[in-house]
Amino acid sequence: MTAPTITSAPVVGRQGNYAGAVTRLVAFAADIGVAWGIFTLTLASIDFAFQLVTGKQLNLGSRQVLTVAGLIIWEFIYFAYQWSLGGKTIGMALLGIRVVRTDGEAVGPRQAVIRTLTLPLSFLILGLGFIGILLNRDRHALHDRCAGTVVVYSWDARAARLRWLAKQDPTTPS
Amino acid sequence: MEGLVEAIAERVVGLVIEAIDINALVSKVDMDALLTKVDIDAIVSRVDVDGLIDRVDVEKIIERVDVEKIIDRVDIEKIIQRVDIDALVEQTELGTIIAHSTSGVASEVLDVVRAQGVGLDDFVARWMDRILRRKSDDWPPGPVLLVSSVSEGDSLAVAAGAQP
Repeated sequence: MTAPTITSAPVVGRQGNYAGAVTRLVAFAADIGVAWGIFTLTLASIDFAFQLVTGKQLNLGSRQVLTVAGLIIWEFIYFAYQWSLGGKTIGMALLGIRVVRTDGEAVGPRQAVIRTLTLPLSFLILGLGFIGILLNRDRHALHDRCAGTVVVYSWDARAARLRWLAKQDPTTPS
Repeated sequence: MEGLVEAIAERVVGLVIEAIDINALVSKVDMDALLTKVDIDAIVSRVDVDGLIDRVDVEKIIERVDVEKIIDRVDIEKIIQRVDIDALVEQTELGTIIAHSTSGVASEVLDVVRAQGVGLDDFVARWMDRILRRKSDDWPPGPVLLVSSVSEGDSLAVAAGAQP
């Protein structure tokens, strides 16, 4: 059995195709980073504002229960709001993917909320909820199945190719 | 005396012309035979085309043209299909305009990252196919609504990595 190689051969435009595991994983990691960064900055800002007004230290970071509860609520808002708005989070937009309904229609607030609420389930069962991305024909994870959603590439590869072509020297023979 | 003769001749000719049925006369003439004897090229060569054009009010003619009607009769889609957009972008200033308007360093990096992501997705998918001894080539590429709505143009090749 010869190992598959990472080819540098042309990748066809994939708009509308089911997104793969690596792109989804990187997008999710980016989202966690962005959400965590915004949350931390917000806590620091509240601390700073409180100290400025009252002259006392609030130190929200040390109140663990409050912080965790705030983080859970924030993560819910972060994902549910963005998915219901345009089907993509910041990380997904960066990687050129988006969430749609199984038939390809845009997701509504209901699907967005269900997907957000069931996302932790995919982690809680030892990450097995994500195995569907590798095994299923429509690459849906457990939370996708619960919400009736799939993740597709929304990246306009054609525009990227035109941009790339535009940068080539016209005098260079192709 | 001479003037009198001329006046009589003019009067006679006038009367004759009035008496003749010109239409009946013309209908008897074999125009095809007549035209074969006429050297059209010679006539045309004697025409001052520049002078003629100078006398034509082009603006007035254009004003009378119904452009909308002409456009309606033109199959724009067919014309666009015949245009090699890649070659157009590559060989004209249009490319520079697109590059300036749509591409910065950030979008270039994004293109590369996304292309790499797609390449790695395919790599993982191929490995899974091998491990599970399955053929995923026949699987639907995406949701029906999205895959069927993606135009043929979107299947343009995009090189992975450094050549998005």
